[in-house]
Amino acid sequence: MDELELLKKDWQSNRTEYPELSYDEIYKMSHAKSSSIVKWIFYISLIEFAIGLILILLNPKIEGQIEFPRWVEIMSYATFPVIGVFIYFFYKNYKNITATDNIRKLIKSILKTRRTVKYYVLFNLVMAGVFSCVGLYVGYVTSEGGAEQFSANAHFAEYATLGVVIVLVTAAIIAFFYGIYYLLYGILLKRLNKNYKELKKLEV
Amino acid sequence: MDKELEHSFVEQLQKHQNIVHKVCRLYSNNQDAHNDLFQEITIQLWRAYPKFRGDSKFSTWMYRVGLNTAITLYRKSKRSIKTSDFDAYQFKIKAEEYDSTEEEQLKLLYQAVHQLNDIEKALVLLYLEDKDYREISETLGITEVNARVKMNRVKKKLKAILNP
Repeated sequence: MDELELLKKDWQSNRTEYPELSYDEIYKMSHAKSSSIVKWIFYISLIEFAIGLILILLNPKIEGQIEFPRWVEIMSYATFPVIGVFIYFFYKNYKNITATDNIRKLIKSILKTRRTVKYYVLFNLVMAGVFSCVGLYVGYVTSEGGAEQFSANAHFAEYATLGVVIVLVTAAIIAFFYGIYYLLYGILLKRLNKNYKELKKLEV
Repeated sequence: MDKELEHSFVEQLQKHQNIVHKVCRLYSNNQDAHNDLFQEITIQLWRAYPKFRGDSKFSTWMYRVGLNTAITLYRKSKRSIKTSDFDAYQFKIKAEEYDSTEEEQLKLLYQAVHQLNDIEKALVLLYLEDKDYREISETLGITEVNARVKMNRVKKKLKAILNP
């Protein structure tokens, strides 16, 4: 292609005058704050981990008002080691991101890091769902005078209403958090996903 | 030791800064975006520099980090998204080596390259730098055969953009 050869000739010639940066300007630039996508993912992930931990630490306070069944309590303590495992994998994946890898490997490492956080968020959503269902049920039954009185007086309509309220409230909570998460990463990783697909397409 | 490392890094980058400018030229639409990307590439180069062992040329290593930053790490700021500025985004030319038809053709070619996607731009950049298919495939992380196939497609695509 002749045109591309013309472009190559122009590209390799030194006739284009690019701005010339001084030693001091380059020095300052190399120490400036990065705005890389990896840094954003790292900060957002830290916030997500923090929110997860705060929710669990707040749990005993909620427990003071609503008496959760024993198995829910055990489950809430069991989440600590799980979070530890998530943080370990997140940090390991994060450390594997290096700007000197080839483009495909680099995108893969970034997406892998993000996937760890995605599973962590899913885990939190499931936990939030369980606590919301149990909390709503126990809260309602307590307000009706306890489990025995509720089961003695309740008819099908009460059970159905309670069931519908639990499902709707839980779905709303999960949808709200999932929506924020989806938007955040959707915007942040749109270009990265597009480029990764483009490279994968080449392998078919 | 760190001071020495810093000094040798800044000196080498200053010497080869045109490489970074060339990457920025392909991936930016205006001067502000060019400057932003230049800064981010410089940051990434400095971060990766302690691991640079010199088994590849500094310039080759710069291309890799520069392209990685432009394609994957850099988060485009709002000011880099405007495409209407592209016509005004030109660099000074030192010498008039071409006739007016060729100059016009070059302008159209640069515009056409700007319409390619990020991966296609990387292929074009490496091709313009006369890198062989082995190096192109290693930089992108694809096979040599696929690099060739993709390059032929890019050539066809450019032709289609130039001759609609």
